[in-house]
Amino acid sequence: MKKLLASAALIGMATTSAMAQDEPLKIGAAVYGLQAEFMQIWSEALEEHPAVVDGMVDLTIFDGRYDALVQQEQFETMATQGFDAAIFVPIDIEAGAEAVRIANEAGIPVVGSNTQVNSDLLTSYVGSDDVQSGYMEAKIVLDAISCAGNVVIIEGPIGQSAQIQRLEGNQKALAECPDVTVLEQQTANWSRAEAQTLMENWLTAHPDSIDGVIGQNDEMALGAIEAIKAAGLDVNDFAIAGIDGVTDALNAVKAGEMSSILQDARAQAQGALDVAIAAAMDGYEPMSDIWQTYSDMGWEGGAAASYNVPWTPVTADNVDDLLAQRQ
Amino acid sequence: MTDDPARTDPQPSPGAAAQAASGNRSVAGFLQAYGILIALVVVCLGLTFLNEFFLTPRNILNVLRQTSINGILAIGLTFVILARGIDLSVGSVVALAGVVAASLASTSSTAAVAGGPYPVGLALIAGVAVGAICGAVSGAAVARFNVPAFVATLGMLSAARGLTLLYSDGRPVPALTDEFRWIGTGDIFGIPMPVVLFALVFAGAWWTLTQTRFGRHVYAAGGNPHAATVSGINVARIRFAVFAISGALAGLAGMILAARTGSALPQAGVAYELDAIAAVVIGGTSLAGGVGRVTGTLIGALLIGVVNNGLDLMGVESYYQLVIKGVLIVAAVMLDQTRNRRE
Repeated sequence: MKKLLASAALIGMATTSAMAQDEPLKIGAAVYGLQAEFMQIWSEALEEHPAVVDGMVDLTIFDGRYDALVQQEQFETMATQGFDAAIFVPIDIEAGAEAVRIANEAGIPVVGSNTQVNSDLLTSYVGSDDVQSGYMEAKIVLDAISCAGNVVIIEGPIGQSAQIQRLEGNQKALAECPDVTVLEQQTANWSRAEAQTLMENWLTAHPDSIDGVIGQNDEMALGAIEAIKAAGLDVNDFAIAGIDGVTDALNAVKAGEMSSILQDARAQAQGALDVAIAAAMDGYEPMSDIWQTYSDMGWEGGAAASYNVPWTPVTADNVDDLLAQRQ
Repeated sequence: MTDDPARTDPQPSPGAAAQAASGNRSVAGFLQAYGILIALVVVCLGLTFLNEFFLTPRNILNVLRQTSINGILAIGLTFVILARGIDLSVGSVVALAGVVAASLASTSSTAAVAGGPYPVGLALIAGVAVGAICGAVSGAAVARFNVPAFVATLGMLSAARGLTLLYSDGRPVPALTDEFRWIGTGDIFGIPMPVVLFALVFAGAWWTLTQTRFGRHVYAAGGNPHAATVSGINVARIRFAVFAISGALAGLAGMILAARTGSALPQAGVAYELDAIAAVVIGGTSLAGGVGRVTGTLIGALLIGVVNNGLDLMGVESYYQLVIKGVLIVAAVMLDQTRNRRE
């Protein structure tokens, strides 16, 4: 309900300040689905972009409802309504290509964000390298167990780009520790409840031998923590890491139960919007402060083929600040 | 078997009629009556041989705990299916009851209802009430406005998920109080709370269906609604009641899930209705209504739980679990049909 009121207020602001410019840019953001926390944070950050707040951009967010066909139809809608640019977070790396083609045919530049799409018609991409996060989280776990012992890997849905790339990163780190054995490796489909069941059963199958848990996202790492607690074991005897930096994980990092790597949804969303505006308007200078935060990520006139938003390890030092941003 | 409630059915369905007609129990009849129990025992024996950890006290408790949520949902669905209905909405109701109850039992500054956390008793009542209301709305649509149960609960599946996302803003409800978490993580004399609740729900359902007038009316209303009406049973009231029961139990399951995982997740419970229906069907309850037992549902739910657990223990890829579950569902119903033809 709060969201509804907020967007009503936004529409109100957009209409009053539309006089600042003759006609606001119509930009659509097609995201794969709004039922999980990460894309919620991403979408809210987009609505808080200065260009949206001051009415220069008329933003529409399309909920893809986890369906590639729904997303494709939303691009057809944008094409019919003559949008100036689009931001695309596809559900599937291959199925998203057709949506990009539709937009391209209608002359709408498309900026990818967060998840990859296999299309050379994409104007640009603003996201984070999942191979790198997979490497970073595995390295944290392996360092904690001094590069020796047994670990388990809880994977995302097999075949999704994030699962493939994070696993590649996991394996890269594991290759540096030949004394580490991977006891089990299975999918829990990003789900906390599924990971909890899996970990409970693994703890039974490998009593007293699991030293580390590599969860390919935070939700699954949190499920593993609950399983360890339910088995009456001490979470501190395990090295556990996840990826994304969802709120529950930040709290668990604060409690010393796990490590997490923050995927900066705000930087991805606002960066993508700046690049999308630049594609629709000559000589645009970025308005979001994320370009100052990540000064290594050069603006390059908004014309680079891809922008790599860095990952931030969540530590005891920065966790309070990150939690404060979620209020 | 003499007090088999299906026999009170004035015009028994073909299966029940055949059962009543055959005076002496054939091998096939024995297989049908106890086939699913035999299957459970065989699978357990097999797993005991294949994996040294299967038959350990801790693993048995794990299986029971992992089965409890699906088991509770399946018991609710047994009522609905016996009365010739179906409830597709339980997965969404799990999520809705979870976020509502959790918001009353959360210490989070953003997600909690103002003035909280409230006493755990209040949160529990709210969760069960939310579930019962969802069930009652579906039940009213079915009983009063003659909407097919499939359609009414399909609508509720969508609506309850939407309400969950609206209520929670699409975010998890975190930081639940220890008292609330106890229903998912606590234990009584070493028996995990979800298992205790599952056992209580089973005992209550068994008693209601076999020992009470209401229970006999559920069978009668499902077996032959017309005959039931003629003999003075208020079929509409029975239909309404079974959906309310299923909803209330889904509410309970939703709170156990939230308490176990530590946060109420708005995307929780997706497709849970399928596993619950599978447990009921594997347990021998007929989708045509009027025939079945809650003990069958218990065994069906345990069989699904044991198979999933055993395959995890042996490190079998989870995709096989889906295939095996599919084969189980069809095989269980085939066993039913074969017996019906033979007699």
